[in-house]
Amino acid sequence: MRATTADREQSAIYTYLICLAAWAIPGAGHLLLGRIQKGITFLVTLALMFLCGLWLEGRLFPLEIRQPLVALAALADMGIGVLFFIARGAGAGAGRVVALTYEYGNAFLIVAGLLNMLVVLDAFDITQGRK
Amino acid sequence: MRTSHVGLMIVFALFVSIVFATLMRDDPKQQLRFGAQLFAAFVVGGIALGWILYFFPL
Repeated sequence: MRATTADREQSAIYTYLICLAAWAIPGAGHLLLGRIQKGITFLVTLALMFLCGLWLEGRLFPLEIRQPLVALAALADMGIGVLFFIARGAGAGAGRVVALTYEYGNAFLIVAGLLNMLVVLDAFDITQGRK
Repeated sequence: MRTSHVGLMIVFALFVSIVFATLMRDDPKQQLRFGAQLFAAFVVGGIALGWILYFFPL
C-alpha cells in the first residue's frame, strides 16, 4: 500500500519532534523510540560530562558572529540542549581563564554538546529505519 | 578536590568511550567490550603521545 501525502507529512513531523526532543534533553529521543537502555546511558553520561565541564570552570561561550571561533564553540556548547540554557540562566559557565582547569572545562562542555549532536543523528537514523 | 591532567584525561576518555560504545553497538555485552577497548585505546594513546611530546620541548 502506498503512503499518502498526509502520512508522509505526519511521519516528517514525528521525525522532527523526535530530533527536537533528542537535542533538548540528551537521550530523550532514544527513550521516546523505546531504546530505554541507550536513552538512559546518554542522559546520565552527557549530563555528567556537561556538569563536569561547569565544575572545571569552563566557559559557556556567547554566540558572537564577529569572532568565528567563539561562535563555533557556542554552537557546540548549545548542542547539549536545555541544560545549556538552564546553566546560562543560573549564571553558571562564566569561565575563569586563570583556573588551572579552564581549558579542560571547555573541552568537556564542547565535546558534551558535539556528542549530543551525534546522538540526535542516531535518533534520526532510527526514525528513518536505518538502524 | 584534587584534579590532575592524567585524571581528567581518564575521566574524559571514560565519558567519550561510553557514548561511542552505546552509539555504535546495540547489544549491552558488545557495548561493554567495545567501550573497554575504546577507553584503553584513548588512555594508552594519550599517555604515549604525552611521552612522544616529552622529547620535543617547546
